[in-house]
Amino acid sequence: MAAGRLVDGRPPDAGLPPVLEMSDIAKRFGATQALEAVSLTLRPGEVHALLGENGAGKSTLIKIMTGVYQPDRGEIRLAGQPVTIGSAAEAQRHGIAAIYQEPLLFPDLNVAENIFISHQGRGAVNNWRKMFRDAADILAALGVSLDVRSPARGLTLAAQQSVEIAKAISLNVRVLIMDEPTASLSAHEVAQLFKLVRDLRQKGVAILFVSHRMEEVFEIADTVTVFRDGRLISTRPRAEVTPQSAIADMVGREVGLLKARPAVAKGDTILSVRNLSREGVFRDVSFDINRGEVLGFAGLIGAGRTDVGLALFGIEPASSGSIMLNGKEISVRSPGEAMAHGIAYVSEDRRQLGLSLPMSIAANISLPVLRRFLTRLGLIRTGEERKTAEAFRKRLAIRTPDVDLAVGKLSGGNQQKVMLSKWLNTHPRLLILDEPTRGIDVGAKAEVHAMIGELAAEGIGILMISSDMPEVLAMSDRVLVMREGRQMGIFSREEATQERVMTAAMGQQEDAAA
Amino acid sequence: MNPVQRLIGWEGLLLALLAVIVAVNISYSPYFLGVENIVNLFQLSIEKIIVALVMTLVIISGEIDLSVASVMGLAACVLAWLYPMGVPMPLALLAALASGVLCGLFNGFWIAYVGLPSLAVTLAGLIGYRGVARILVEDRSIGNYPAWFNAIGQEELVGPLTISILVFVVLFVIVAIVLHRSGLGRLIYVIGNSPAAARYSGVKVRRVKMALFVASGFVSALAGLLYAARLGSVRGDMAQGFELDIITMVLLGGVSIFGGSGNFLGVGLSILVILSLRNGMGLANITGNTQTSVIGALLILSVLLPNMAQLIRNKWKGSET
Repeated sequence: MAAGRLVDGRPPDAGLPPVLEMSDIAKRFGATQALEAVSLTLRPGEVHALLGENGAGKSTLIKIMTGVYQPDRGEIRLAGQPVTIGSAAEAQRHGIAAIYQEPLLFPDLNVAENIFISHQGRGAVNNWRKMFRDAADILAALGVSLDVRSPARGLTLAAQQSVEIAKAISLNVRVLIMDEPTASLSAHEVAQLFKLVRDLRQKGVAILFVSHRMEEVFEIADTVTVFRDGRLISTRPRAEVTPQSAIADMVGREVGLLKARPAVAKGDTILSVRNLSREGVFRDVSFDINRGEVLGFAGLIGAGRTDVGLALFGIEPASSGSIMLNGKEISVRSPGEAMAHGIAYVSEDRRQLGLSLPMSIAANISLPVLRRFLTRLGLIRTGEERKTAEAFRKRLAIRTPDVDLAVGKLSGGNQQKVMLSKWLNTHPRLLILDEPTRGIDVGAKAEVHAMIGELAAEGIGILMISSDMPEVLAMSDRVLVMREGRQMGIFSREEATQERVMTAAMGQQEDAAA
Repeated sequence: MNPVQRLIGWEGLLLALLAVIVAVNISYSPYFLGVENIVNLFQLSIEKIIVALVMTLVIISGEIDLSVASVMGLAACVLAWLYPMGVPMPLALLAALASGVLCGLFNGFWIAYVGLPSLAVTLAGLIGYRGVARILVEDRSIGNYPAWFNAIGQEELVGPLTISILVFVVLFVIVAIVLHRSGLGRLIYVIGNSPAAARYSGVKVRRVKMALFVASGFVSALAGLLYAARLGSVRGDMAQGFELDIITMVLLGGVSIFGGSGNFLGVGLSILVILSLRNGMGLANITGNTQTSVIGALLILSVLLPNMAQLIRNKWKGSET
């Protein structure tokens, strides 16, 4: 980034008193410390960028600011006064508003109604004329030309974002949180949005800007804060930050948190994927997986990694490209076909997609290959089913008094093991693991990692999608990085460093990071 | 769920209710528990009960079939249309059953393969199939079937049991085994309680749903023919409105309208409760309209009570955190 950009960004006005101060905020979910000792200050007229990997704690912080979560510890001061933000409505009363990647408008209400949705008159009759006039005034002040009488349905995403911003202004917003507002906008629309942001800055609104697009952060931000693993790593004026230094802060954890999986002797190629694409979702993804190899899929959430997994498993088949399994070209149009080819997909969403929570452990494990457990009359051989479940319970150390227990009653880690058992029971040749250790405790995580190592050693090819950087680096023989539906590169174990992977995931040039 | 939990759950409640109703009924009439009265009780509603068995499977899978009564009417009307034209009786019966299967295929196509909601599709079926039935027989009442056909619905075959009741007994056993012991039954539950997980496990969700709607159409047609055999004549409005009684039997049995839970013990008990309640109210000279209101109130309670328990539990949890 050229230093000339400074013309636009001004240093935050340190003279003004802060509008929002958060000090020593902590929040814990079960085994995960989502935030630890975070202190953040927002000043009027400041665009404050928040950077961090998935799971670094950005979303948790936003949810605390908007009253969705309550912090376990710490203090929030608004214009110097300590406050508690108990609900979204309370956040609004304090002048804190948030807009998200997908605008949350009511499609059948008109623009003016959407702008005033949270403070419409409580009388029986709306003063429509006044409402339309006020709405038009706000939009005019923003320099946006929109018909306030037209329904929100059919507005472009950018126009919808403008309505969201107008809504925030109508609430006399003092702090505006923008959570990846540009993720689905075109370059032109981003420019329009940034014009609005600059106007708001001029009006003295403090803006917290979350984005995974580094160039945007450097275009608009006055201050850059980096989060990592629930902690605030650095807060610096934009002029003192470079993309490289920001990435270094994002990934700069101590290496060796996880022990690297011993490499396995390389076998034959199991899977060859060439130019796999699904229109509008991902494009030209090509890679090989060998017997006994773990190929890590790294990238930010929404980069299209899961979509590649779903295409290989036939849930959302690819629209073009080729898939070769053991040297033969195959087409996968349904999960049934994928399973017939020996492909298994362990979902990232075990509660909705991976398991049937009200059903027993044994019933979940047998589900994909239920036919194997049927008599000739189609009745279930429950003894056989239970025996299989018992074997997996021992092998994966699933902690449960009984395999007839409903899966929903188990802890997250044990549910994860049941899900693994379910798919190992299909005897896969290619195992796709999507976020295999998300939301489970450290002990279970280590067990799952050991299991992945064992499976690879048995000769199964493993495609592991993970947003957990240490996990990706420790478990993978090679790492494929995706960003916004594109494959950014494949790194061997030696090449794959945190900085390199994150640089690719953020779309920065490799040479700039060197 | 172990048997003890089950007893203090919904089925226990139904059992207690049944005991109270039976006790009251006996106090009104000592003949209530007589074999003749009980058989008669079943005989009067046997067609609905038969359809309720398959409806149980449909609702557990998370769908609903509102067209069953119209299919019953349609099948009977197909028979009444063909037989006077000189079509041999067995052939006419087969055609009537086939019409039920066709209705099921039609419902199943839109629901399973196109993905439309079953509520809308089968509501359209309810209207449409009834319309076809009325076109076939217009406003006539068509009777004069061979004696053996009427005997199916009226003659006592084994002891005091008619063929209709025997059909019910056999179907009850088969359907209960399918639901609680077979692979298909397992899939029906999974599709009902975790449709997405079923798909992600390679379950052929569409095929299972299709099979259920075809079964529902076939059994409804069969029930319609049994009904025609019992009455001895067929009219266009035959079995009209039966779908509500049928669905009531299933829901009162503790089958969740959202799918995924319920069992045949509950549905069996619920059938007994409804039959003995209606019979008892009849013995006490309570009018048909009042009887219907009482059953309606029971149905509301059956949906409300389990949900209320859940709501209270959630509220409790909410105040803890």
